[in-house]
Amino acid sequence: MFELLCNILLFVFLGFTYFTHVLEAKVPKSYMKNPNVLHPSVWPKAIIILLLICIAINIYKIIKKNKGNPEFTFAAFGKNSLAFLKSKMFLGMVILIVASLILEPLGFVVTATLIMFSYGMLLGEKKWWRLAIISVVLAILLHIAFSGLLGVNLPRGTVDFLRSFSLFLENLV
Amino acid sequence: MSLGEMFVSGLSAVWGGGTMFLMVIVAIVLGTIFGALPGVSATMAVALGLTFTYTMGPVPAIVFLTAIYCSSITGGSITAILFKIPGVPSSAPTTFDGYPMAQRGEAGKALGVALLASAIGGLFSALVMFLLSSPLSKAALAFSNGDMFAITFLGLSILVVLDTDHILTTIISGLLGLLLACIGQDPMAGVARLTFGQSNLLSGMEMIPVLIGLFAITEVLKQTNPKKRLSADDGVGNKGKVNTKMPSFKELWSIKWTLLRCSVVGCVVGILPGAGATIASFMCYTMENKLSKYPEKFGTGIIDGIAASEAANNSATGGAMVPLLCLGIPGGNAAAVMASALALKGVQMGPRLLTVQPEFLSATFITMIVTNIVMVIVAIGIAKVFAQILAVPYYYLGPIILLLATIGSFSEGNFVGVTVMVIAGILGIVVKYMHLNSAAIVLGLVLGGMCEKYFSQAFQKAHIVTTQMGFGDYAAKVFGGLFGTPIGAVVMTACILLLLSPVYMPMIKKARAKK
Repeated sequence: MFELLCNILLFVFLGFTYFTHVLEAKVPKSYMKNPNVLHPSVWPKAIIILLLICIAINIYKIIKKNKGNPEFTFAAFGKNSLAFLKSKMFLGMVILIVASLILEPLGFVVTATLIMFSYGMLLGEKKWWRLAIISVVLAILLHIAFSGLLGVNLPRGTVDFLRSFSLFLENLV
Repeated sequence: MSLGEMFVSGLSAVWGGGTMFLMVIVAIVLGTIFGALPGVSATMAVALGLTFTYTMGPVPAIVFLTAIYCSSITGGSITAILFKIPGVPSSAPTTFDGYPMAQRGEAGKALGVALLASAIGGLFSALVMFLLSSPLSKAALAFSNGDMFAITFLGLSILVVLDTDHILTTIISGLLGLLLACIGQDPMAGVARLTFGQSNLLSGMEMIPVLIGLFAITEVLKQTNPKKRLSADDGVGNKGKVNTKMPSFKELWSIKWTLLRCSVVGCVVGILPGAGATIASFMCYTMENKLSKYPEKFGTGIIDGIAASEAANNSATGGAMVPLLCLGIPGGNAAAVMASALALKGVQMGPRLLTVQPEFLSATFITMIVTNIVMVIVAIGIAKVFAQILAVPYYYLGPIILLLATIGSFSEGNFVGVTVMVIAGILGIVVKYMHLNSAAIVLGLVLGGMCEKYFSQAFQKAHIVTTQMGFGDYAAKVFGGLFGTPIGAVVMTACILLLLSPVYMPMIKKARAKK
């Protein structure tokens, strides 16, 4: 059911895109007057049309394949969705989304420590204190190695003391 | 530049005053470890390796990434033999004979054959790449835009044949990749397309974060219930120990034809855009099984099976570099990551590059030679240590991959890159559940820009029209642009035949069955 819904959503989204967002600005008149150049909308529109045809066939195939399948119902889909929301994979996704949001204000060292610790716990490490120590040490070492030694600018954070701490680490080497 | 001069230029690029050589050694060790770690594919290894190249110049970057690429393919055989878990997908056939040998206490011999076969395959393909790339890129300069479109399109068409069980979803994936490549400004008129009003998307889809997301983040998200710890034994009950007795010269001599055949086939498969090391190793394992005088022994632990798989997958690495260096078309996902990394440094791969800057070819060649030789010494030297390194539990390895991926996506000091990486990683899971093919999406994304550019230029040059066009003129221009030259006509016909193969192949099979 998830596969079917995704295909339907993709179909609708592509249909919407075809009519509204292929071109976001007007094509220059001089360009339009030249019959020997390809209009900027032709290539993406051709791809979208091919995609719509293929997805329509795919939707038909999915429905045909799952006819009579007891799992192919909205009730089963609802049940599976709830199970997914409680799964480790979903929690992993949440950790990553949160990490991408806090990276700018808190900087690399704190974010990396939190990713390492929370994901390590999620994957089954029981000794949280050992994981916490490794997380902090690894985040600091990576920051020193990449910012200090390899010259890659890693985010220092917008919070004053975190920024100062990152600068302090970078100046160690 | 003569071949001799290119050789010297390559040596100087790899030596780089000693510092670069040290980096190559680091890349070999990193690549071998990355490749050996289950769940880290060669593409992911190259994507994670990108993180180290941001401050390097274009030539050192390709040297570093090539070393990681070659050694990661070889590294995959170590876990395949010791744990029956292929470190990279292309080492899967190595498990068939490698693991039974390890269980008999012959892990050292199996590792030795794997490493030597890898080195021979890698060296062979490096030589082919060196000899073929320069003349091919010179010839490619004479190709018309229509020819280049046809060759680029061939890479996408081949994907359809490779995944015969999911043809429709592979086509959808390839088309999605092509559509993603349209995001941003149109290459000819500069008009914004598919940006949904987001100014961040004007410069197009950020390739590196998307690749890291699809290949690293998705893989880590998938592994939420990993095996906690891997352990090897020497076949006689000693846990954590590996017997490192190497194969004899007589044993190696007995598989000389296997090594030669698989190196040739692996290299040819690697050259085909879209194919790659995994297909090469499976194909060669099956081929050797059929050609063998003792096919019944395959799968029971014989060195022929390991040699076939490892020579083929390493030979495919050099092959994959040929279309990348000559035509700017990546032969596989890892090559696509390299192309994106070089594009980030303002280097556009293609036939002109090798003519103007042949040091890219010579540096890649020497790197492959050095890597394939040093790799054997490094891997043999630390074979015993590997058994310990690989015991690192996934609850440490997974988060470390996430951290390296984050650094890689933030490379340009852009927070959007990290967001794109996370979105791509999550979408990678959706792609998996939709049974789409992420390799096809990536190939479409990487080749999309080139496809459109060549198509537009071919269209522009074919059959000049002076008044407003009707449908007939349009069709004539498209046909003239794509089929106007012998190369274009042949390759486009091949593309059409490949794309239509799902329709006519079952008919042919039915007709044969009736007879």
